[in-house]
Amino acid sequence: MKIDGEYIFKGPREEVWRIIRDPEVLATALPGTKRLDKVGENEYQGEMNVRVGPVAGLFSGRLVVSKEVPLSSLTLTVDGRGSPGFANGSGNVILNDQSDGTTLMKYEGELQIGGKLASVGQRLLDTASKSMIHTGLEALDLALQARVAAKSEGKEVEYTPPSESKFAAAVAKDMAGQMLSSRTVWIIIAIIVILAIVAAVLISRAH
Amino acid sequence: MNYVGKRIKRNEDPRLLTGQALFVDDVDLPRMLHAAFLRSDYAHARLKSIDISAALQRPGVVAVYTAEIMGEEWKPGPALVSPPPTVENVLFNSRTQVPLVKDKVRYAGEPIAVVIAESRYIAEDAVEDIIVDLEPLEVVADLEKALSPQSVLIHEDLESNLAAQMVQVKGDYAKARQEADLIIKRRIIIDRGAAAAMENRGIVADWDAKSHFLTVWDTTQAPIPIRNGLALRLGLSEHQVRVIAPFLGGGFGPKMMMFYSEEMLIPWIAIKLARPIKWIEDRRENFYATTQERVQIHDAEMALDHDGRILGIKDNFLHDTGAYDPYGLTQSHTMGAYDVANYYSEIKVVFTNKMITTPVRGAGRPQGIYIAERLLDLAAKELGIDPIEIRKRNFIPPDKFPYEHCIIDQAFSPLIFDSGNYQPVLNKAATMIGYDQFVKEEQPRLRAEGHHVGIGIVSFVETTGVGPYEGARITVQANGKISVATGVGTQGQGHFTSFAQIVADQLGVDVQDVQLVTGDTAEFHWGTGTFASRGAVVAGNAIHASAVAVRAKILKLASEVLKAPEEELEIKDGKVQVADIPHLSISLGELATLANPLRGAVEPGTEPGLEATAYFGPKYGATAFGTHAMILEVDTETMMVEIKRYVVVEDCGTILNPMILEGQVHGGVAMGIGNAYYEKLVYDENAQLLNASLADYLIPTATEVPRIVVGHEETPSPLNPLGTKGAGEAGAIPVPALFAQALENALPEYNLEILESPLSPNRLFELLQKKEKSQ
Repeated sequence: MKIDGEYIFKGPREEVWRIIRDPEVLATALPGTKRLDKVGENEYQGEMNVRVGPVAGLFSGRLVVSKEVPLSSLTLTVDGRGSPGFANGSGNVILNDQSDGTTLMKYEGELQIGGKLASVGQRLLDTASKSMIHTGLEALDLALQARVAAKSEGKEVEYTPPSESKFAAAVAKDMAGQMLSSRTVWIIIAIIVILAIVAAVLISRAH
Repeated sequence: MNYVGKRIKRNEDPRLLTGQALFVDDVDLPRMLHAAFLRSDYAHARLKSIDISAALQRPGVVAVYTAEIMGEEWKPGPALVSPPPTVENVLFNSRTQVPLVKDKVRYAGEPIAVVIAESRYIAEDAVEDIIVDLEPLEVVADLEKALSPQSVLIHEDLESNLAAQMVQVKGDYAKARQEADLIIKRRIIIDRGAAAAMENRGIVADWDAKSHFLTVWDTTQAPIPIRNGLALRLGLSEHQVRVIAPFLGGGFGPKMMMFYSEEMLIPWIAIKLARPIKWIEDRRENFYATTQERVQIHDAEMALDHDGRILGIKDNFLHDTGAYDPYGLTQSHTMGAYDVANYYSEIKVVFTNKMITTPVRGAGRPQGIYIAERLLDLAAKELGIDPIEIRKRNFIPPDKFPYEHCIIDQAFSPLIFDSGNYQPVLNKAATMIGYDQFVKEEQPRLRAEGHHVGIGIVSFVETTGVGPYEGARITVQANGKISVATGVGTQGQGHFTSFAQIVADQLGVDVQDVQLVTGDTAEFHWGTGTFASRGAVVAGNAIHASAVAVRAKILKLASEVLKAPEEELEIKDGKVQVADIPHLSISLGELATLANPLRGAVEPGTEPGLEATAYFGPKYGATAFGTHAMILEVDTETMMVEIKRYVVVEDCGTILNPMILEGQVHGGVAMGIGNAYYEKLVYDENAQLLNASLADYLIPTATEVPRIVVGHEETPSPLNPLGTKGAGEAGAIPVPALFAQALENALPEYNLEILESPLSPNRLFELLQKKEKSQ
């Protein structure tokens, strides 16, 4: 399964880089993430609860960051498996400054998905993965804006991450809208896992 | 004969319709435990380690088994039939399925561990507690790549992924090709499908430790071979094992696969734990754990003269057996119903990292017929000959039967068509569908109105009712009712009625007074099973032979009792009476009591009771024949098809019960429609199944299945006393070929050539897009 897309963060590239490498922010932006631990210089391990349609369960993932160009780009390789199946693949993430002070994130990658995720969730995979990525990035963007605002005003960061139910509702809404486009859920999950991993890596490296 | 040939309502229906019929999942025993299987998500992977400790700690879990825990008792399953004889041009590498993965996973869904727990819920939760370390390997998914020298090996002890190879030669195809006016050569691809029986598989095993007796309820089409195999495997005598195949919600072939992992394991564990164990396959599992059918790539060609007469057929093809080949080598042919003098076929059976394939209803004939009919259709177009006419020119003529094909059949004996008269069947189908009128008047008018309507008409042959044998025991009971026991199982074929009709005719009783037991090895334990359209032929004739023997016993005893010669006796309404003196009579029940006296002596050389056991084994299979015709309309916006008219004319020899026969035909056509236009198991390049649910794997529903009109011709088989031929699979066989012809006919402006099966609305859209682009 191919994944690609872009997202505009309302903040400067340095802050975006920092936030996507903050495992705590990342974990809250992707509800269901149980933990995300750094286990090596460029290696992370995490666990995430995933539910797509009839397929649900705990995913354990390992994420390796490579080809990192600080503040600019990196490659993520992910290998996740759990009761819903498995997902492995790699993707590239690139950050670019925009003239209006925002940051453009471009991502593209290739995922292999197997198990129930592929066989039962196939029809929902594409939509679900896109929506999960989008919803996750939006949550990150909100965290980013809270951080930027706090910085400029010298205040404490006020940011409430979305609850798991809010997140699920947002994904469900997207999926309902795109159901007709077919084959998606598991792709979405895989994408989310990848993005989560990417974000985690980025965040942790920023520290 | 009074009952055979009549539309008798089914004896079994009151039980089935009121929920009184026993299915495997109805079996509920005290102290029963439940099993759930951990199956691999990967299609090809090395098993590094399994950690079951967390699963064992879960409350309610009784045991967990892995290949390692099985130790010495782990061994691959038996081959279903012995590997083919080593004859010239045959190669066969037997690699049978394993109970649980030991070192390497070979297909996604292969069982790795089994959990036994107090409930299925607990067992399934505990499956998720198991931690398995699998190292993914490169996956073999594509048939052609699988045979390349660079391919990774599924069975590393073999030199390649070639499972079997066989060449069949008749006449001299190369010479025929030289003499031909026209060669039609095409690559035709047939993809995977599931049998998708309404009832999934299931098994309950109960070990009585005090009497050392194992009882197994199994959704099998072959209870006796399962009993024999289990006894052998478990170190028991056959009389210590009883296998019951109760009512089944459909078989269609995959329930004939012997031994599934679960079939080997559940009884073994029941003995280990001395507690009853139940496993019922769920629908998702059914997609991974039950055998499938038919990926084939054919490079086929047909040589014809300018009159459209077939001079020869050549077919080189690859067949996907999946990860193992326990079913042996069973080959059909691609000559259809035609008189083909020169034939060359070469099959290469290939191991892939996918589920094992075994015969599904039709068993290779839908593929073989597809090849023959497609090539003939293309030739007809090329030569400007009407599709009906080109078929008539090539049919095996009625005076050529028995027709020796000079190749071997599925049982590795010579392929012979016992009897047939093909043209009347084709003519009748053409008349019933209104072929000429449609082509001349209706179609032009509808086309002018903008309707994409097409007509198709194709024929098929099917060798049915193969040996080795079946048997039956018939007993007249003291209450006057007749008990019949036979070894074959029943999956909805109406055996309780059609077999009863055979008995009722011989023994002069009402059909409802014939009580049949099928598929219980405690009742009858010789035989093979219900498959290959053989029930009515092989078991039917065994029952007939047994009924004839009981009739002789009845007449002999009645002659003594009534003091009248046997020739003057008739059996009627449950009584034996002297013809013309009806008051001089005795009921069958009274006779049965007299035949089993409490006092006196049974004469030396005679047997007590009015009972007989008889067997029947045909020399070779009886060949049934039929023609299907269909008119359909394509909606070129949605690519959905509507079947406007569907006609089947069937010649399966003597008809036992036309109503049951038509039901079998209807079911077969419905399955064929699925195989032709809806059902396809979609695998990705990593051999991951992408549509393992009935939301995505589409089986036809009432809306897709039209009203089917059935006509009959009867050419009795000379190979058995009843003259019967099998009909259980026939309905499904020609439907994919019929769809292809009718779709091409409906869309003449696209000049389509359909060279694949199954199709789907999506796929038809793609084919039309390609045509539009290329034009």
